[in-house]
Amino acid sequence: MSSLLEVCSVDELEPGSCRIVDWDGDQIGVFNCDGEILAMEDRCSHDGAPLAEGVLDPESCTIECPRHGAIFDLRTGIPTTLPAYIPVETFPVVVEDGLIKIEVD
Amino acid sequence: MATPDQTRVPLTSEEEGLKDLNADYTERYGFHDAENYLFKAPKGLTRELVEKISEFKNEPQWMREFRLKSLDHFLAREMPTWGSPMLAEVDFDNIHYFVRASEKPERSWDDVPEDVKKTFDRLGIPEAERSFLAGVGAQYESEVVYHQVNKDLEDQGVIFLDMDSALRDHEDLVREYFATIIPANDNKLASLNSAVWSGGSFVYVPPGVQVEMPLQAYFRINTENMGQFERTIIIADEGSYVHYVEGCTAPTYSSDSLHSAVVELIAKPGARIRYTTVQNWSQNVFNLVTKRAVAEKDATVEWVDCNLGSKLTMKYPSVYLMGERAHGEILSIAFAGKGQHQDAGGKIVHVAPNTTSNIFAKSISKDGGRSSYRGLLEVAKGAVGSKSKVVCDALLLDEDSRSDTYPTIRIGEDNVDVGHEATVSKVGDEQLFYLMSHGIDEEEAGKLIVNGFIEPIVKELPMEYAVEMNRLIELQMEGSIG
Repeated sequence: MSSLLEVCSVDELEPGSCRIVDWDGDQIGVFNCDGEILAMEDRCSHDGAPLAEGVLDPESCTIECPRHGAIFDLRTGIPTTLPAYIPVETFPVVVEDGLIKIEVD
Repeated sequence: MATPDQTRVPLTSEEEGLKDLNADYTERYGFHDAENYLFKAPKGLTRELVEKISEFKNEPQWMREFRLKSLDHFLAREMPTWGSPMLAEVDFDNIHYFVRASEKPERSWDDVPEDVKKTFDRLGIPEAERSFLAGVGAQYESEVVYHQVNKDLEDQGVIFLDMDSALRDHEDLVREYFATIIPANDNKLASLNSAVWSGGSFVYVPPGVQVEMPLQAYFRINTENMGQFERTIIIADEGSYVHYVEGCTAPTYSSDSLHSAVVELIAKPGARIRYTTVQNWSQNVFNLVTKRAVAEKDATVEWVDCNLGSKLTMKYPSVYLMGERAHGEILSIAFAGKGQHQDAGGKIVHVAPNTTSNIFAKSISKDGGRSSYRGLLEVAKGAVGSKSKVVCDALLLDEDSRSDTYPTIRIGEDNVDVGHEATVSKVGDEQLFYLMSHGIDEEEAGKLIVNGFIEPIVKELPMEYAVEMNRLIELQMEGSIG
C-alpha cells in the first residue's frame, strides 16, 4: 500500500537544488532538474555514500556520487558509469496544491 | 637463505650487480635528449593551465568543462591514506603538467623531430613496428609524436588513433564512452588525469574483425619532473579481437616524475581484449594508474601486467563481468628491487550469472624492495554459477625484502565457486644446492628458480616481449644470490 510523503512547497525547491527527506529510517533525495522534480534513494549502490551531497547536473538530470564519481540517471536510478552497477530506487513524484509529495510503499 | 653474517661478502657482488643494472638502464633507457620543445608549462597545476591545455588542443566545450570539473574534484579530494607510505612523497607542485614536443602526430618516422626520432630508434620502436606490429603509437612527454596503423586494418574500419586526434575526428564515439568506465571523480589520481589528460590511444575494432598482430603504444618521458597523463579507450565491438601492448621508459634523474594514466576497456558481446603492459619506468617515477574494463555477454578481457620499474607503482587493473558467461583474467608480475615498492594486483567483479575469472599474481622482492598484492574479488547478488580462482605467490630473495598480501573477497551469492591461494617463499639453500649439485653455478641457479617462478605468466607475453622480460629479469637478478 503506497502513501504520499510530503517534502516541501514547490517554491522551496529551486532549480538545481535538492532536499533530503527521511522515510522509515531511509533517506530519499528530491531534486529539481530545471523544473522537473525527481526523487531517488539517497544511497549509492556502490558503497552507500550519500548521493545528494554529490554534484547535480540539471541538464542531463544526473547526480554524481561524491565518493567514487559514479553517475546516476535521476529519472531511472540506473548508473551511467562504473564503479556502480546496481540501480538505485526511484520514487514517483506528485505535486498537489503547490506541495511536492513522493509516493512511497 | 644466507644468514646476515654470510651475506656480508656477497653484498659486494650484489652492489656490483646493481651498479651494472643502473649502468645498463642509463645506456638503454635512462638517457635524455636536449629539450627543443614547442611549449613547456612551468611547474605546478592551475586552472589557467587546464584551460590552456584545452585551448591548445582546440577541444569542444564539453571536454573543457569536464577538465575543469575534474580539477575541482582533484583539489577537493585528499590523497589516499592506504597503499604505500611513499605516496606522501608525491609533490604535485614540482611537476610539469604539459610539455609539447612536436606539432602533431606524424605518420612517417622521417617527419618526427630528429631528437625524438633518435630516441625511439634507440628504443627499437620502428624496428619492432616493421617486424611484428599492426600499429604503433609513440608518445613523447605529453603528446603522441608518431602514429600509424596497417592499411588493411584501416580498410576494415579499425580506428587506432592518439586520443587527441580521436576526439577531433570521432567526437561522438569518444563522447559516448569517455569516462563511463572510470568517472572523473573515481579517485584523486583519476581526477588529476581527467583534468590534464593528454595523449594515449583510442582503439575501435568493428564487429567480427580480428586484429591478429598486436597494436603497440610506447610512452617515453624525457624531461625531469615530468607529469605524463595519457588517456586510453579500447572498444572491441561484437565478436572482435584485439591485443594492445604498451611499454614505457624514462631517464634516470635524482628528482621525481609522475605518470598517472587512465585506461578504459569495453569488450562488447563475444569480443576479446588482451592488454599487455611492460612497465619499466626509471626509479624516479611515481606510477599511479587506474585501469578498468567491462566485459559484456560472452566477452573476455585479459590484463597481462608486468611491473619492473618505477619508484612506486599503485595499479590494480579490474574487470567488471557485466554479461552472462563473460570471462576476466588478470596476470600480474611485480619485481621490486632496492628503493622500489610495487603495490599491484587486480580486481574482478562478477555482476552477471555464470561468469568466470582468474587472478594470478607473482611478485619477487630483493635488496630491500617491497611488493604488495592488493586485490578484490566480488560476486554480486544474482551472479549465480560464477567461478573464480585467485592465486598470489611471492618470492623473497633476501631477508631485507618485504612482501604483503591484501586480498578482499566479497560474496553476495550462494551458488558460486571461489578459491583463493597465497604463498610466500624464499629462494632456499636447498633449492640452490640441488641445482648446483647438477653442475649449475650459483648465479645461474638463482635465475633458473626465478624464471621458473614467473614462467606461467611470461609465457603469455608475445615472444618478443617474453624475451625482453626475461632479459630484464636476468639483469635485475645479477649478483642477487649469494
